[in-house]
Amino acid sequence: MKNFKSHHILVFAGLLAFTACKTNITTPTPTAGSANFSRYIAVGNSLTAGYADGGLYRDGQLNSYPSIIAKQMASVGGGTFTQPLFTEAQANGSGYVKLTGFDPTTGSPITTPVTTNLAVTGVTAVPGFGNVTTYTKYTGDLNNYGVPGIKLQQITYAPYGNLNGYFERLLPNPTPTNNTTYLDFVTAKPFTFFTDWLGNNDALGYATSGGAGDVLTDKAQFAALYQASIAKLVAGGTGGSGAKGAVATIPDVTTIPYFTTVTVPLILANVQKSAPTVTGLYINALVPGTTSTYAPRLATANDLIVLTFPTSKMGVPTGGIPYGLHPLNPIENQYVLDAAEQAMVKDYVVSYNNTIKSIAATNGLAVFDAYTFLTNVKANGLVVNGISLSSNFVSGGIFSLDGVHLTPRGYAIVANEFIKAINSKYGSSVPLADVSAYSGVKFP
Amino acid sequence: MRKLLLLLLATVPVMAFAQGFQVNLHGQKQIGMGHTGTGLLQDGASVLFNPGAVAMLPENYIQAGVSPLMFKSAFNPAGTNTVYNNSNKIATPFTAYAVWGPKNSFWKLGLGVYTPFGGLTDWGTSWTGKYSLESLDLKAIYIQPTISIKLADFMSIGGGFVYNRASVNLTRAIPLSNSAGADGQAQLSGDGKGYGWNAGVYFKTESGVTVGITHRSKVNTTIDAGNAVFTVPASVQANFPQPNTFSSGIPLPSTTSLGFGFYPTSKWTLAFDMNFVHWSVYKALAFDYAKNTAVLADTYSPRNYKDALDLRVGTEYKTTDKLALRLGGGFASTAVIDGYVTPEAPDANRYYLTAGLGYKLANHLDLDLSFEYENVSARKQTNIESQLSGTFRTNVYIPGLSLAYHW
Repeated sequence: MKNFKSHHILVFAGLLAFTACKTNITTPTPTAGSANFSRYIAVGNSLTAGYADGGLYRDGQLNSYPSIIAKQMASVGGGTFTQPLFTEAQANGSGYVKLTGFDPTTGSPITTPVTTNLAVTGVTAVPGFGNVTTYTKYTGDLNNYGVPGIKLQQITYAPYGNLNGYFERLLPNPTPTNNTTYLDFVTAKPFTFFTDWLGNNDALGYATSGGAGDVLTDKAQFAALYQASIAKLVAGGTGGSGAKGAVATIPDVTTIPYFTTVTVPLILANVQKSAPTVTGLYINALVPGTTSTYAPRLATANDLIVLTFPTSKMGVPTGGIPYGLHPLNPIENQYVLDAAEQAMVKDYVVSYNNTIKSIAATNGLAVFDAYTFLTNVKANGLVVNGISLSSNFVSGGIFSLDGVHLTPRGYAIVANEFIKAINSKYGSSVPLADVSAYSGVKFP
Repeated sequence: MRKLLLLLLATVPVMAFAQGFQVNLHGQKQIGMGHTGTGLLQDGASVLFNPGAVAMLPENYIQAGVSPLMFKSAFNPAGTNTVYNNSNKIATPFTAYAVWGPKNSFWKLGLGVYTPFGGLTDWGTSWTGKYSLESLDLKAIYIQPTISIKLADFMSIGGGFVYNRASVNLTRAIPLSNSAGADGQAQLSGDGKGYGWNAGVYFKTESGVTVGITHRSKVNTTIDAGNAVFTVPASVQANFPQPNTFSSGIPLPSTTSLGFGFYPTSKWTLAFDMNFVHWSVYKALAFDYAKNTAVLADTYSPRNYKDALDLRVGTEYKTTDKLALRLGGGFASTAVIDGYVTPEAPDANRYYLTAGLGYKLANHLDLDLSFEYENVSARKQTNIESQLSGTFRTNVYIPGLSLAYHW
């Protein structure tokens, strides 16, 4: 059997040799195409900043879509991408909410605010405006200029840096002494490529306040500002020699779980458990054909209730009249984006988006049509790498716990949509990000 | 208020495992000759290759072999330059055959134990397709008692009963992150069994050409009371009841083969085999959980395989009484249609090349060595169910060794 043993050893050695080798696949070499990604900047609002779960915090920043895009650009000549990260010690930034469980009887998610390790430095009263929360200043290089809350309407307003703590944080002076417009700030240094996702808050501010606490930006003003900002961005910043870029459209607000989770039928069914005779809810709704006249009426399934509606108020009498169940004590305007308000928001958003697409076309920019994309996701869901995603709250995997902003996985999907638009416009082949590597909502 | 919210959890673990691929490693002599053997009289492996030929075997056999199989897949997700490789694991398909009959009698008995289907792949827990599959270990072991009868000097027939013992162990990530951001995981493991048969006929023609025809039946294999273990964050654990079991059925397809042997000289054999594998019986992979919840529903994952063909040629040359050299190769068409390629079976058309040598260690003892290389063509696909999109390419390396005692 000696002979056999030596053969055996030979086979074993051969086997080890094959164990070591790997199968190769020829992959396309990534190229930048006609774009130059050496200094990429991201212009936008909370979505751009990586805002999630009702706050801006380090984890969210690290998973912002611009940072994901920048990582993917690295293989095609992309430079370093610096974000105004909160420090590890102040990692929870503005604070945010996290999921801590589910109500055992209703199955509703329970969220709890995170209030430790914040970067909040104080609250300053700005005369004529109100209170502004400020955060530990960030100094240093910057590529991600996302400022939560900013509207397109505000980008040329010089005192804005004193009114928004997230912007103030990036500026050198303490509030109220800043006097740099957002547009000047982002274009102060040369850059070669930009993404621009501004304009959401021009519609969203009105929508999330149920049409009560904000106004829609005038369409013509939107168009003029968009034109002006793109003109400055394609110039490539002060000292720059032109930049290419990608812009995104504004989603239909009715596609976000902030408006689609707490519904009229759900509230009604809940009320009927203890008061079976109740047949409808009353809301204070916009009178169709007007822009600010409100009157109570019965709610329909087409009226959208905001995610933050305190359902505990339902049926509790004020002045002897149960809340929400009688025309004399309707659900307040701030909690409802009623059908007429939705129509108005949609009309404005469609107009804004036409502006965005036409100015992008004139300037040869790539467009990520977030409106179409999220409307599709809302209608059909989305399957990526074996993950079934949807626009549903918590379970959908795309939207974070505030029902407006995205999860890391949602931001990765958005980053990929930007990349696809960029690749197709500029003939580049920026590799797509691995959506599987980014998580959805975190469960306790 | 957001009542029944969890009902909407779109995280149903649609467990998907294909039966992988047919494992055609049934005897070292035959592997060396490109898996031909239906129309030949080589050794005890005729129990599988053609039970009809067993009665014609000039001797009795006891033999066993093993073919450590290295399945090396790579995946390049569409639109990226990332390449994921499955990890190095060695599957061990084996064979054992015994053939016995009185000298010069018209009948022989046979017993075969072999592994005609299986798969072993481990893509790890951090690759892009982890929600489709992390790892799969599937084994089917067929046990086949056989009887063969010589009807005339030029013709014999035979058949066998097949008992299949199967085991599966599959893991897959569930897209439910815990507070640390780690995925949930599903693990399905269980044993199953199934029954089938195997029959063949063997002719020696007047021109000296030998011919074999065999049919190995479909074996419906069922797994009852397999273990379904779901590791998910505590807050959603109630949706994935533990302990839980599952049942599933896998139809392992029938194979019909036609083979020829040609003998240009007394030392030289040429063989040709053609196999028709009735893969179209594999319509879907379904899992039935003992305990369902609104989130954990039974699953039905379409596979829609198509019938496949395998063409093989091989040759053997006996250089001396002691040493035989073998070469072979073939082409197998894929069973997996476009849109259904999965990481369990990243299948595509493939060709293979084989070589082998036989050495007479002693008067009654043969040592056979084989080596096979399979090249599974690169295939760019988007899976309809998972939307996993990219290019798979696979190389398979299979050394093998067997010992045969004959008298």
